[in-house]
Amino acid sequence: MTVPTDSGERRRAGDRPPLVTELIDGATVQEITEQAWLALVGEDEVLVPLPAPMPADALSSWVEIVGPWTGSVVLTCGRDTALALTRALLREHAPEVLIKEEDVDDALGELANVVGGNVKAVLPGPSVLGLPETGSTPPPGREADTCRVDVLWRGEPLTVSVQSHAERENEVPL
Amino acid sequence: MKILVADDSRVMRQIVIRTLRQAGYDDHDIVEAEDGRDAYDKVRSESPDLVLSDWNMPNMTGLECLQALRGSGSSVPFGFVTSEGSAEMREKAADAGALFLIAKPFTADTFTEHLEGVLA
Repeated sequence: MTVPTDSGERRRAGDRPPLVTELIDGATVQEITEQAWLALVGEDEVLVPLPAPMPADALSSWVEIVGPWTGSVVLTCGRDTALALTRALLREHAPEVLIKEEDVDDALGELANVVGGNVKAVLPGPSVLGLPETGSTPPPGREADTCRVDVLWRGEPLTVSVQSHAERENEVPL
Repeated sequence: MKILVADDSRVMRQIVIRTLRQAGYDDHDIVEAEDGRDAYDKVRSESPDLVLSDWNMPNMTGLECLQALRGSGSSVPFGFVTSEGSAEMREKAADAGALFLIAKPFTADTFTEHLEGVLA
């Protein structure tokens, strides 16, 4: 009788950090985003699932998720769209003419925070959600570890990307 | 009646206040706090009848604020309004003494459902 030897390969394969595409799909990300839009932006605000070229002056907001899957939920749109979103969120509190940059950062960051919090709830835990940040669009994660949704809001492009960091620090090659 | 709304996002504070009005709580005084530390201080100085607090905030989180309040003997009614509504967080909130956790995004109906017993 021969005793099978355990090379350990199987365990290592099982310990591979999960890809986000194994944990969440585009339909779920889109549904989460639509719920956030209806509740925060306005009950008549629809998102049309169509890709379109992003303007050069794109702005992003994101929240980091750290846990069994680690990465970010990144919301990206043109600067004019970000201004329109801020006005929609502030409604009667929006200034007549000039919207401050800090209000745009706040509004876009809070949208990423709400979408990110609900994405986190779908992913395996325990995990921690970071505070929202806003700035230039971060580099995309690995394509295989990215779940991206392209939509149009009021005819303008907007993307929501659940993506790993560009270089995964926690990945150990087999 | 006085409600303290704590959130590090000014935009979200406005949305919470607007939703309170839509839910029929438009005759209450509103006090705003911009993080957990500010909320803790304003519970002391403003004596609100209810605190509606975000969870994830700089300086002091909503949970730390609630724990500090309970540790100092305050029994102010406290509810979370947060983007994270997992079972784990609801349990942590309840264990710390929160009355409810409203997950963002929310509607006026959600507010009514949770607040009518508290602000009756």
